[in-house]
Amino acid sequence: MSVHDRPWTAFYGPSVRKTIDTLEYNSIGDFISAKADQFGKLPAFTTCLPNGMNGTLSYKQADEMSDALAVYLRDIAGLAAGDRVAIQVPNCLGYPIAAMAVFKAGCVLVNVNPLYTAEEMVKQFKDAEPAAIVIIDMFSDKLEDAMRDYSFKSVIVTRIAEFLPAMPRGIVGLVQKYWDKTIKPINFDHVRLPDAIKQGRAKHDHMHQVIEDYRANLSPDDVACLQYTGGTTGVAKGAILTHGNILMNMAQVMELIENLEEGKEVALTALPLYHIFAFTVNFLGFYSIGARNILIPNPRPLSNLKRAFENYKITWMSGVNTLFNGLNGEVWFQDTPPKHLKFASAGGMALQGAVAQRWEEVTGKPVLEGYGLTESSPVLTFNPFGQTRLNSIGVPVPSTEVKCVDEDGKDVPQGERGEIIARGPQIMKGYWNKPEETEKTIMNGWLLTGDIGVMDADGYFRIVDRKKDMILVSGFNVYPNEVEDVMAAHEGIEEVAVIGVPDNASGEAVKAFVVRRDENLTKDAVRAYCKEHLTNYKVPKLVEFRDELPKSNVGKILRKDLRAEELAKVSNTEGKV
Amino acid sequence: MVGPLEQAILALMIFVIMLGMGASLTPRDFTLALKRPYGLFIGVVSQYGFMPLIGFILATTLPVNDTIKIGILIMACMPGGTTSNIFTYFSKGNLALSVLMTVTSTVFGVILIPIVLVLYAGALDLEIPRENIIATLVLLLVPVAIGMILRKLNANIGAVTEFMGSLLAVFFIVFLIVSWIPRNWEFLLGTTWGTYFGAITLGLFGFLLGYGFSALLRLHPRNARTVALETGIQNGPLAIAIIAFTWSGAEAQSVMAVPVLYSLFIVITSTMVTMWFRRINTANEQPLPNGLL
Repeated sequence: MSVHDRPWTAFYGPSVRKTIDTLEYNSIGDFISAKADQFGKLPAFTTCLPNGMNGTLSYKQADEMSDALAVYLRDIAGLAAGDRVAIQVPNCLGYPIAAMAVFKAGCVLVNVNPLYTAEEMVKQFKDAEPAAIVIIDMFSDKLEDAMRDYSFKSVIVTRIAEFLPAMPRGIVGLVQKYWDKTIKPINFDHVRLPDAIKQGRAKHDHMHQVIEDYRANLSPDDVACLQYTGGTTGVAKGAILTHGNILMNMAQVMELIENLEEGKEVALTALPLYHIFAFTVNFLGFYSIGARNILIPNPRPLSNLKRAFENYKITWMSGVNTLFNGLNGEVWFQDTPPKHLKFASAGGMALQGAVAQRWEEVTGKPVLEGYGLTESSPVLTFNPFGQTRLNSIGVPVPSTEVKCVDEDGKDVPQGERGEIIARGPQIMKGYWNKPEETEKTIMNGWLLTGDIGVMDADGYFRIVDRKKDMILVSGFNVYPNEVEDVMAAHEGIEEVAVIGVPDNASGEAVKAFVVRRDENLTKDAVRAYCKEHLTNYKVPKLVEFRDELPKSNVGKILRKDLRAEELAKVSNTEGKV
Repeated sequence: MVGPLEQAILALMIFVIMLGMGASLTPRDFTLALKRPYGLFIGVVSQYGFMPLIGFILATTLPVNDTIKIGILIMACMPGGTTSNIFTYFSKGNLALSVLMTVTSTVFGVILIPIVLVLYAGALDLEIPRENIIATLVLLLVPVAIGMILRKLNANIGAVTEFMGSLLAVFFIVFLIVSWIPRNWEFLLGTTWGTYFGAITLGLFGFLLGYGFSALLRLHPRNARTVALETGIQNGPLAIAIIAFTWSGAEAQSVMAVPVLYSLFIVITSTMVTMWFRRINTANEQPLPNGLL
């Protein structure tokens, strides 16, 4: 039995195709319109706030609004096909409308983490060169800073309570403005999302025809998204995902899941939509089956999810280990677990076996772990329903080959460790503007994941280690170089090395080893400095001062030695217990 | 002391507030609280076991005259008041449990109040005004039920009602304090320290014992906070009504001193306790690491 026979297909359900040959749609825009026609008045998206205030758009409404916004982007803001549009919006109704409009306009979507600092935003903007941005009002101050170094043709501003009924919208607005003080005055030229839609709507008499023309020339091979994924050299890399990549991956995942009913599912989306997993699976995958998507703007603290669970019959949800672990520990969740839940899906970081088991005890339903990378749109493997294995990333999705290879790129025997590499229609075209990086990552059509894994006897895969220096903090990639570059710019810091250390809560945590130039520099000061320049998850949780750092003969700092020291410490303490 | 118009306004405010509180609840909250009845049981024990005992100890040890002693005792034997629900809501306690505790202690009160009073005060012949008991229950249960229905019908209407109710509740608390002081200024000046001490510490000891007892029996902190507030906060207006039914003239005024003082100070101490409970609640929230959430 060889990998090429795809032994894992034996675990597919009876109705699951092993290979998905053709795409039904040319572009994501086509897909969105077709599904809107099919599901019409069914609710598509709902924003649910912590106090239960909510707003819903049907498939038809979302389709019409995103049509109008597409017109605005093309014929009023003056964007051309292929122009990039940044979206920096947390989960709320503005997000799907903006994303759908970008695809319909034949433009390219660039997701931006709303929590990015102005510096990080500028880096990403300068690389992706978006012509327009849709941003949440809460972060307009950061955009103002960022716009000193980068300018847009058009800035569209949305808000958390967008498209909610007037009364709750007003209350949320007042609370945000005067109580939370999360909304600041906006001092630059912009248009509000509803106004942009209104203007787009008024522009043409026969909007539908115009819209179809925008994307008439698109093929599955054209770029749909630049999805950013940290950077090994301090600069974020944009994975070029085509319409075909994303539509295919969505189809691959939905193919593998068998127990969902068209038009009847209610999905809970607490993971941010700007992240590729929630984007492909929650947003597009569940849109494809006419599900209702409950969007949670901010799941912190977890009690923010309580009303969503109480008010909606959630049938499916996705999350990362942290979320499942957290919910397991909430008394209200233990008391009233979602009774309509069919199963949950986990990705982004390793799902701990104990967490998965506890989840099943609490809810009575399994949590299925999957695996993938931004570079693979993202899903490569998933646990088939009813055949879940703990601590396993499951089996490759249809039309996907996965294998483990040694340092020379040769297949390792089944059951032995090797770098996981994958091939399939969901693998990105390459990195935006970075041909050398692309060459290092995709070889002969195979994506090198940098993860070390094992294929079990029957075709299930497990991850055992990671090859890259990358740190995985609760589902986010953190590249040591980026953190080190920022820290090295501090005048009190002589030298710095950043590694990932095991952490119970987040899987891995960022740890910085610092050689001080200024003896008075404190750990808190280091962290505070990092907070100014980096998004929260990149800020070192641990800081250790050293007199010197381990180095190679040529003076290169050896992160692996530091890592070995840390791992030895962990196993020592485990020994004592 | 309180005119009929004011009483009507207060009743209306409580109605709207409880509407909002109700809109934060689901039937499941009540079935869950009923599924674990020991929380309720602990509540009844604290309410009619500990509180009267605290009252008795205060009444016998403080240098106050007999009418004040009776006032302390009556106050100590009262069931939980509606304000306990409001403070439970704000302190992120278990509101369903709080409502159920108020209902049980009020219903049981009809039988238990006379028994406990006989136990501690000998043959004290009291008239329990049934109408007040019924009014308390109606003013509590009807709006809560309507609020729950509103939320079920439309989550937005529910959430808006809850928001309005909680705003009004804050106003209500401030209103109680602000309107009370100028109205009773002279009374405040003419009252002895023993009376003050009895009126203020009755509630404080109630919080303390309610919390300690539930913590000892391993109730979840959220439920322990609920029992604490429920035990400490008594139905002041009911005590005043009972006294008005039973005594008259200067004697009534004197017996009423403690319930009246209590009603003012309990709002102040509860506010402080609530702020403290909120802090504990926030501090005990599960820390989520930064990352994909």
